[in-house]
Amino acid sequence: MAPTAPRRILGCLQVAAMLVAVLAPLAWMVLSSFKVSRDVMALPPRLIFTPTLDNYRELFLRTDFLHNTWNSLVVAAGATLLGLALGAPAAFAISWHRITWPATLTLFARMAPGTLFLLPWFILFSQVDLVGTYTVLILTHGAITVPVALWTLLPYFDALPRALIESAQMDGCRPHAILMRIALPLVAPGLVVAAILCFVFTWNYFLFALALSGFDTKTAIVASFNFIGEGVTNWGALMAAATMIALPPLVLALLVQRQLVSGLSSGAVKG
Amino acid sequence: MSTIASPAVTIAPERARRGQHKISFSWMVWPAVAFVVLMMVFPLVYAAWISLQDASLGTEPRFVGLDNYLNLASDPEFLNAFGVTWLLYGVALTMQLVLGTWLGIVLNGVKTARHLVRTIAITPFMMPPVVVGMLAIVILDPSVGIVNWLLGTVGVGPLLWLASPRWVLLSVALVDTWQWAPFVGLIVLGGLQSLPASVFEAAEVDGVIGWRRFVYVTLPLLGPTLLTAAVLRSVDLLRFFDLVFIATRGGPGNASTTMNMYAYQQGFEFSRFGHASAAMLTLSLVVLCTVMVFARLRRALSY
Repeated sequence: MAPTAPRRILGCLQVAAMLVAVLAPLAWMVLSSFKVSRDVMALPPRLIFTPTLDNYRELFLRTDFLHNTWNSLVVAAGATLLGLALGAPAAFAISWHRITWPATLTLFARMAPGTLFLLPWFILFSQVDLVGTYTVLILTHGAITVPVALWTLLPYFDALPRALIESAQMDGCRPHAILMRIALPLVAPGLVVAAILCFVFTWNYFLFALALSGFDTKTAIVASFNFIGEGVTNWGALMAAATMIALPPLVLALLVQRQLVSGLSSGAVKG
Repeated sequence: MSTIASPAVTIAPERARRGQHKISFSWMVWPAVAFVVLMMVFPLVYAAWISLQDASLGTEPRFVGLDNYLNLASDPEFLNAFGVTWLLYGVALTMQLVLGTWLGIVLNGVKTARHLVRTIAITPFMMPPVVVGMLAIVILDPSVGIVNWLLGTVGVGPLLWLASPRWVLLSVALVDTWQWAPFVGLIVLGGLQSLPASVFEAAEVDGVIGWRRFVYVTLPLLGPTLLTAAVLRSVDLLRFFDLVFIATRGGPGNASTTMNMYAYQQGFEFSRFGHASAAMLTLSLVVLCTVMVFARLRRALSY
């Protein structure tokens, strides 16, 4: 039964309301980043203005933001690799042997507030003089990426036909070869989704980097947070920083949009 | 999430019999398990140990048993944080479930540009909390924020939003809802799409449409899905931290100091390590119990 005309209009209006509610703040952020400070705070808002790159120039030339972004990249990439390297084999074994306890263990460990881990980490890593290094940032963000990689990959491994692995076993294939040559290539789409989620969640997470990064390893998120703390009154520059750090996760999310939506329905995808 | 509730699957006997010549992959879980134990379980136990001591910066740690926990129970600041956490939890979870259900139904009806619309729905919760906090500060600014200006044009306000002890929790809940209601919406969408169309057709034949169909057919069938969403949001909302840390610093006063924020301040600003650890463990326990309650509810609801 086709919906009647008024119903369709009502439906369109609801979708439009949703899109405006989601997009308006983002549009405001991006627009402000191209305004001179006088225009940012102008009320009524100036929708027509001469765009300027001053804010971005200030951000990249007058602060360490470029270096901070590089740090974010190193930490997120490192933690992603760590998550996949540990999570993928574990997910394969858990799926194949139907052992649920390691997966449950990671899930329960993730329920504790991040602040709980910080204090022991700080004490322990101070003793080996690692606080402020990439190593410690990558390791601690592994607490996010290992569970995420493991839980994201489980359904992909579950969907592998058992006969395929069994026949490889019959042929005398070694376990690590089965994983590397057969199982992993077959779940390649899952690996991409897992990698993107690990990267985004590490990039976005700021508590661990806030407490454990040093001057040289400060991430872009922590640097932006410090801009607020320093009472930066240049809102244009603040919005330029916000735009820059929001960009990578949004672009990556676009790439896996389809898998994200279907993954959410099973509740499998969550940082 | 449903995997927690499912009982351990037993290995079929014939597979066990055939299994003699097979190689095991079970060693592959050990690197990940070792990592989780070293980086998460061990710190948890270590924090539990600290929570039993009178440990602060510059003093020799002293074992005090459960004193830190007893002190929490009589600390008005902690009790305030406890109340703030639950109030924020109740308000935000309700808003997110209600709005999320509406969004899920709206998204389910979208026929044109479906992928574009869904992609836009993903954007808020893929954004860094720091960005959301920065945006909230700029947009909700009492004097030069755009929201107050918009409200002013229809004769409302100006409201103090994050700067008012009375409205700060509602403001924070609203911002969090902007970020996470679409997440709930997509979960609801998944739930809706897994429901059999025949149920809705039967309802239509019986003349159950519109609101009555929603209340008597859709909502009950969505029960388990909504519970899944509620669990996922509960874990985050009870540990609420990022947004208040960035946008309000727990203030004004202690009006938005959640339990997690309180624990952080005690540990990292006042260096009361034992006291802070006790607060963090109490919070962990609160989260765990809440998840257990939901898991039990979900089991009772599945048919």
